[in-house]
Amino acid sequence: MSEMKNIKNLKEFSTSADRFEGANLLCPGCAHSIIVREVLNATNDDLVLSASTGCLEVCTAVYPYTSWDASWIHIGFENGSTAVAGAETMYKALKKKGRLKQPERTPKFVSFAGDGASYDIGFQWISGCMERGHNIMHIVLDNEVYANTGGQRSSSTPIGSSATTSPEGKKSYGEKINKKDMMTIMAAHGIPYAAQVSPNKWKDMVKKIQHGFAVEGPVFINAVSPCTTEWKFDPKDTMHIADLATDSLVFPLYEIINGQELNITYRPKNVVPVEEYLAAQGRFKHLFKDEYKYLIKEWQDRVDEKWAYLQRREEARV
Amino acid sequence: MAKKGWDEFEIGAMLRTFDGKIDNIAATQQEDRAYSQNSSYTASVADWRLIKPVFNKDYCIDCQFCWIYCPDVSIISRDKKLVGVDMDHCKGCGICVEVCPTNPKSLLMFPEQADEESVIANWPKKDEEEA
Amino acid sequence: MAFDKMELKDIEVWDGNYAAAQAMRQAQVDVVAAYPITPSTPIVEGYAKFLADGYIEGEFVMVESEHAAMSACIGAAAAGGRVATATSSQGLALMSETLYQASGMRLPIVLNLVNRALASPLNVNGDHSDMYMIRDSGWIQFDAFCPQEAYDLNLIAFKVSEDHDIRLPAIVNQDGFMTSHTAQGVKTLSDDAAYGFVGEYKPMNDMLDFEHPVTHGVQTEEDWHFEHKARQHNDLMTKVMPKIQTVFKDFEKLTGRKYTPVEKYDMDDADVCVVCLGTSVETAREVATEMRAKGIKAGVIGLRVIRPFPFFEIAEALKNVKAIAALDRSSPNGAAGMLFNEIAGALFNTGTKALLSGFVYGLGGRDLTKAHLVALFNELQANADAGKVTTKLQQFIGVRGPKLAFL
Repeated sequence: MSEMKNIKNLKEFSTSADRFEGANLLCPGCAHSIIVREVLNATNDDLVLSASTGCLEVCTAVYPYTSWDASWIHIGFENGSTAVAGAETMYKALKKKGRLKQPERTPKFVSFAGDGASYDIGFQWISGCMERGHNIMHIVLDNEVYANTGGQRSSSTPIGSSATTSPEGKKSYGEKINKKDMMTIMAAHGIPYAAQVSPNKWKDMVKKIQHGFAVEGPVFINAVSPCTTEWKFDPKDTMHIADLATDSLVFPLYEIINGQELNITYRPKNVVPVEEYLAAQGRFKHLFKDEYKYLIKEWQDRVDEKWAYLQRREEARV
Repeated sequence: MAKKGWDEFEIGAMLRTFDGKIDNIAATQQEDRAYSQNSSYTASVADWRLIKPVFNKDYCIDCQFCWIYCPDVSIISRDKKLVGVDMDHCKGCGICVEVCPTNPKSLLMFPEQADEESVIANWPKKDEEEA
Repeated sequence: MAFDKMELKDIEVWDGNYAAAQAMRQAQVDVVAAYPITPSTPIVEGYAKFLADGYIEGEFVMVESEHAAMSACIGAAAAGGRVATATSSQGLALMSETLYQASGMRLPIVLNLVNRALASPLNVNGDHSDMYMIRDSGWIQFDAFCPQEAYDLNLIAFKVSEDHDIRLPAIVNQDGFMTSHTAQGVKTLSDDAAYGFVGEYKPMNDMLDFEHPVTHGVQTEEDWHFEHKARQHNDLMTKVMPKIQTVFKDFEKLTGRKYTPVEKYDMDDADVCVVCLGTSVETAREVATEMRAKGIKAGVIGLRVIRPFPFFEIAEALKNVKAIAALDRSSPNGAAGMLFNEIAGALFNTGTKALLSGFVYGLGGRDLTKAHLVALFNELQANADAGKVTTKLQQFIGVRGPKLAFL
């Protein structure tokens, strides 16, 4: 086991030598690359990375350029997790056979995918990887929409959000189905570690990523990734939106160990009303019409219920 | 990068990040790495920018919020100190300015054409209301 | 090395599946990722059992779908080691997306494709619909007509596929059940001789070389895509066949078993001939010999290599023939048939006066009988005598009901 990188504070963290490069083609203000940087900088170990088709993939490996400083592979939309699991399997085989070129290294295998590639099309592949116990980390860059293809709803899109395939209109408030609870589903595989993270809470993120790297077996990370283009806010406000997401408890930060031990890792001192979170984003603008205001109340109720549920689980140690 | 003919590149559209061998990458800062022409490090997105961040070191407390929250690896910090902004890779999103906690801010956005020396000379004073 | 060698008799009685599994063991495949599907399942079960018994050192991952199987194979191959798997039919259909990705990334992987019909209606028996479906996927494709060849071609496939001038994945086809589940005598190589032939895996652009990070699976748009596809096609058209010829020669030196891209049987003076694939080649050879006794100069061509298509070799083999039958064991669903079209293309600009007719046969494992082939050779002779095709260009063999013919 390699030594864990010591990151006591942000100053110390800032001495990291980034392994992700600029001049990628992600939108200005995109949270994806902030998350990627926080993840990659959390370790000094070698990395073997994959990305499923999506914004991150399509913006960081457009020939003849790559933005990756570690080995990286993309196959398709659904199978990034399995791609890196295949590489991890080869690592095990070659280790056993004494054929690794640098046998002293302790690489970490990480798969990045969007919510479309994780909650929807890649669901089965990720479930397979989690069930089989590969020593990999699958990270969802959860922007709650198919952003790369122009804003279609995914099963991560929340109720009331206007997406291009569930648009708000004269007779519709947009998406009608509640966001899929991917965290609980993945934790139910009995994996050693599942956690929800947000880029604004970098310390919480780094701690969880390091925990994930330290355990043997599959790790699932759901990272909220505010999307300036599809959530419709100014690029400069990405971190502000992330703050609203965590502090309104729309995106509670918690972890589930071994599928059964739930810990809440961030309790906002001042909980922000969900209404503020919604009001800051164009995708929810229509909810502030008189006829839809009841939905905002329902939103708040759902968030409160979920928070109560998480607290009950934490208390009961389940 | 020049567009090569079909027989001039590596098979499988494979790209190498570095020319030759890289050792201990996690301890090697960008300026000390031998990037290949295929690394986007060697490319520029400066022309995406309409507004640019200007860094005024007089007010900077090296908190590193701008470093951690920069999506484009464009805040250059070395030895825990903010050194400057990588203007080849900055897309002008303005996150660094938003997350800067100093008063006045140590980073502010200006039109791309603005002259750095003169904007620093005319840097806003401390915002008493906010303080 | 922490695994046991297996003592094999000079001739073992193996079916095609077990022969393929033994070849995978002897090649010391590092990673097999697989999903079971009839009739190919025993191949990967074989590898799993060899692993469980300590006859191989590697990793076997039983994944949750064929798509995931090939996805994991791609990840494993890109990581840098020897990779193989097996599938059939619907499984191949599900993994077909990833087949293009494997070849486009130039990753050597050996896929044992145990040929089976494609639904609907569902059918588990042998025909060539699956083989035909992915024929343009950029994989090298070999065809075994019997268990011996399934064994030999697996060893050959690794050597061709992994060569640094080639780096293209390879499929070894064998007929579902007719080869895969039919036990025959198989001449074996010792473990050392087989591994010595295949050779050690030599990594290239491997992700696990941390001193040389690589990016695999990039995006190319209109400014680059065509060049990359052209490069792959160029290598398939110019590099693969010479490499296959060399490896065939090396294999012959080692074993005395001779392979050629176009397997000719009694073709030197043949007036009429059948071109086909799989087990049908062996049946056709037997019938051709019988036809010769009846005064018909019959010959048979079996395609050993389907991709790259042996365009000139097949034209050369057919140049003096008067009447040719192309036998397609897959419904062309609205066209003339793959072999018919490929052969017609190969012959079109030559001076041949040969008559070409197409036959669709054996779908879903329907037998191709000797009686069918006797009638077929007689019909070819009638065509040769008449100097024209006396029937419709496309006929169905062995289907119930009124005779079915088109074109």
